[in-house]
Amino acid sequence: MLAYLAKRVGMMIITMFLIITLTFFLMHAIPGGPFTSEKMLAPEIEAALNAKFGLDDPIWVQYINYLKGILTFDLGPSFKYPGVRVNDLILDGLPVTAQTGFLALLCVAALGIPLGVLAALNQNKWQDTAVMMFATIGVAIPSYVVATVALYFFALKLNLVPTFGLDDWRGYILPVVALSGFWLSFIARLSRSSLLEVLGQDYMVTAKAKGLHPFTVLFKHGLRNALIPIVTVLGPVVANLLTGSFVIEQIFALPGIGRHFVLSISNRDYTTIMGITIFYAAFLMVMILIVDMLYMLLDPRIKLAEKSK
Amino acid sequence: MSDAKTSIPSKNWAPARLGKGEAEYIAAPSLTYWQDVRQRLWQNKPAMLGLTFILFLIGAAFLGPLITPHTYYDQDLKLSNIAPILEVYEVDDGQGAPTYFFMNSGNFKLYETNEHGALKSILRAKKKDLIKKRHIYEFGDQQVFVDFSQLPARLLDAEENQLAVYGTKWNQTYWFGTDSLGRDVLVRQLYGARISLTVAFIATLVNFFIGIFYGGISGYFGGNVDNVMMRIVEVIATIPLTLYVILMMVVLQSGFISIIVAIGTVFWVDMARIVRGQMLTLKNQDYVDAARTMGAGTWRILTRHLLPNTIGPILVTLTLLIPSAIFIESFMSFIGLGVSVPMASWGTLTSEAVETLRAYPYQLFFPAAAISLTMFAFNFLGDGLRDALDPRLRT
Amino acid sequence: MSNHPLLEVKDLTTSFFTSRGEVQAVRGVSFDVSPGEIVGIVGESGSGKSITCMSILRLLKSNGRVVAGQAHFEGQDLLKLAEHDMRKLRGDDIAMIFQDPMTSLNPTLTVGEQIIETIIAHRGSSRKAARQRAIELFELVKIPEAASRLNSYPHEFSGGMRQRVMIAIALCCDPKLLIADEPTTALDVTIQRQILLLLKEIQARLGMAIILITHDLGVIAEVADRILVMYGGMVMETGSVDTVFARPNHPYTQGLLTSVPKLRTAHKERLRPIPGSPPDMLRPPVGCPFAPRCLRAMQICVGEVPPIFEMGDQQTHKAKCWLHHPDAPTNDEGAA
Ligand SMILES: Nc1ncnc2c1ncn2[C@@H]1O[C@H](COP(=O)(O)OP(=O)(O)OP(=O)(O)O)[C@@H](O)[C@H]1O
Ligand code: SF4
Ligand SMILES: [Mg+2]
Repeated sequence: MLAYLAKRVGMMIITMFLIITLTFFLMHAIPGGPFTSEKMLAPEIEAALNAKFGLDDPIWVQYINYLKGILTFDLGPSFKYPGVRVNDLILDGLPVTAQTGFLALLCVAALGIPLGVLAALNQNKWQDTAVMMFATIGVAIPSYVVATVALYFFALKLNLVPTFGLDDWRGYILPVVALSGFWLSFIARLSRSSLLEVLGQDYMVTAKAKGLHPFTVLFKHGLRNALIPIVTVLGPVVANLLTGSFVIEQIFALPGIGRHFVLSISNRDYTTIMGITIFYAAFLMVMILIVDMLYMLLDPRIKLAEKSK
Repeated sequence: MSDAKTSIPSKNWAPARLGKGEAEYIAAPSLTYWQDVRQRLWQNKPAMLGLTFILFLIGAAFLGPLITPHTYYDQDLKLSNIAPILEVYEVDDGQGAPTYFFMNSGNFKLYETNEHGALKSILRAKKKDLIKKRHIYEFGDQQVFVDFSQLPARLLDAEENQLAVYGTKWNQTYWFGTDSLGRDVLVRQLYGARISLTVAFIATLVNFFIGIFYGGISGYFGGNVDNVMMRIVEVIATIPLTLYVILMMVVLQSGFISIIVAIGTVFWVDMARIVRGQMLTLKNQDYVDAARTMGAGTWRILTRHLLPNTIGPILVTLTLLIPSAIFIESFMSFIGLGVSVPMASWGTLTSEAVETLRAYPYQLFFPAAAISLTMFAFNFLGDGLRDALDPRLRT
Repeated sequence: MSNHPLLEVKDLTTSFFTSRGEVQAVRGVSFDVSPGEIVGIVGESGSGKSITCMSILRLLKSNGRVVAGQAHFEGQDLLKLAEHDMRKLRGDDIAMIFQDPMTSLNPTLTVGEQIIETIIAHRGSSRKAARQRAIELFELVKIPEAASRLNSYPHEFSGGMRQRVMIAIALCCDPKLLIADEPTTALDVTIQRQILLLLKEIQARLGMAIILITHDLGVIAEVADRILVMYGGMVMETGSVDTVFARPNHPYTQGLLTSVPKLRTAHKERLRPIPGSPPDMLRPPVGCPFAPRCLRAMQICVGEVPPIFEMGDQQTHKAKCWLHHPDAPTNDEGAA
């Protein structure tokens, strides 16, 4: 178990390093980008800029400096906002993004899994049809469409919720719904098929033949096994909730990291783009690690396969 | 068992002739795998509906722009933000010549139409009374006021009575209306479909070939090559792909080719894994040998054993890749990283519509509906295909 | 053996209702099991052996239903029992072992947990007592290092060991009836024998009745007291093992027996198939289900299901075949 963990963390650090390197050199490869020469700037301003951001140094020196910065959790200065550091931007947006993201994840798990279970236990009955219809709609309609249509009807037309901001708890409703819609549906479908698969397994018949209480059969033998494939997709779900927050924060004008990120893209604020990307990647690596550990807890086969290696 | 002792007519004790019947019984008519697949797919209504919609969409996207009088970039600022459905009013100028017009509720301007709803031109107000918040129009000796002192704006006649609607007409000139620059929404919509579909198809094909190539090599060589290549895939799989696409778009600068490159180089990981898996099973041809010793010909082995096992999962992955490519493209365009103006894709159309959401909410309808319906269609088709190819997976 | 049968199945009829129609898996099966008796059920794949047992235990998939019949266990009809009472019987008085020990154990729970939960469910004993009982059971089924093996997961066991675990679970409440559905089919030949001997030994020690489903006539010959030959959802022939093997009175049984060259051999012999294939239970033949493949089929066989005839040689020996009708043309093979 410990060896496995160490191996995973090792892999993670290598992946992180690759991502940082890739991002750094991609940003520096931009033709006509600020790291080469900013258009229409007076030469003296450009020189000052270059000196300030260390752009005169050879690229590998810049690279080493950047890596050093990351080791001390410093993502450098913003390229567009004087005096603002990327760390500040991230810290500024973090509460909003974390709150909406966490609520969305909660919705996905706390609604998606029960809905899928409900459908599987009532296979081919109306509950199943209803859940599957809902899930098909949720999977097909893109989040930004859900967001804008909902914004129009519930905020502009019916005035039920504010059009932007999170001052009021109702402000969270639309962003969270739009953010979680797709993954909620996806998880509902996955839970359904996973549980159906498990319900058809021989060991479920064994559990019933042993005379166990139906609840024990369903929860201890059924759901526990059905959860395994669901847990494996939780990592990607978190990743996608994050990237989904880019548009959602933009549409609902939420001051989160996603909005800073999209803004930095349109501003060509390259250090911020780089910094936020790396922050996201690191966050996701940690999430994936957590999911892996959860997975090991649920499925003893993994633990042992690793042990015997 | 009481009838055991009842007597039975003697002819019933004659031997049964079973020659032909028996042979037929044993060799029950069986469909070939592909006939079976086709039949199951054919019977799957949502999948067929999806397929029909996709074919229709492709036809419309590629033929539609050729036959409309408008182009996707022609602007007519005088005729901007016109709705597809118009409430047409009629005024008589006193000499018996009627004028037909409608009011744009977003900007309170009046536009002349014919009685069927074909657009003629914008009408000029005689006087703009900004204190009383009304515009005064004159039709011969008739006066019409546009009163926007309270919303929604009203049309009043000289006696301050509200004008009666002559009829609700479908916009004959611009079937889907115009956007904020006075461009034809229908053509832009069709053009958007063309861009979105092209990007999605090409990107999917690129992914497909990279996946086949990568997975094929990995599976074919096996051993250490396979080990290293699969490790790389593992690393790539942990990188959030949307983030990667965004970075690529930042680096490549937005545009048609860039988005294809960015999307085309991202989603091949699943495909590579599947192809590798298939390759490994193909290499392990025990069951092929088994089929051969049982007297099956090469063609039969290929069509009944190898192809169904290999093509099926690849085909399903492919059909489900297309909607994700469509989604990513529109997502990118929505946040301003997709195709560049004046090109349109569903994502740009949606984000343009969002900007005018308050004044012209109906502009959201067409791009939102188009992308949602397309996603439905591809999802239905993909699910149907999966069920048809492997009925065991059907739940 | 006492006079009162432990289990008395009468005219059991079970169907599955699928999108393609009604699959008539079991069509009027009747048989008894006396206390302490081993009854073997043989028949080709799809003949309804498993479904017969699953109907008795009421463990059918949701699309399956017992359409008619009774199954009296110690006097009460299992098919009319409240689900709650039925549950109390399962795993307690009636236990079951399945064919594939690879898939019949829950992969994510330790084997100890899977046996302990059963003991607790029926006996309400403490975890500690249940664990003690589990160790005893593991010793009974000859799993070495019983105490430590309780903490292992199923995939850490070999197939034979897993089947021993399954048997231990089945035995945990001293069942009066043990239903073993092809307990050895999925195992290696040498292991098959060990498991069979184990079952026989345990039966001798604990004295429960066993219904043993198998494809393998050799297994029946070795361990069973009585045999039930099934085909097309019906019992074709039944009787004591010795009688039926010595004087098979049904063409299907005869076919089965001649297709096994040597009985009582350790080497695994697959049945040499009788030409033709079993009936499609969606549209079973109107008459005798075996008629399409029977070399001695008569006109009447095609049109009418044969009744059950008692053979003269032994009271329990019966066959469902028109050849035994008094009016049927006599033939040397018929009473061979
Ligand atoms: N869930 C189900 N739905 C529809 N038909 C079923 C179902 N389960 C079993 N059947 C059908 O019931 C019939 C009897 O099956 P059963 O499992 O009892 O056969 P068996 O004699 O145990 O065969 P085997 O030796 O292969 O185990 C078969 O024709 C089978 O196709
Ligand atoms: S009833 Fe007829 S068909 Fe059936 S086994 Fe007897 S002889 Fe053969
Ligand atoms: Mg069976």
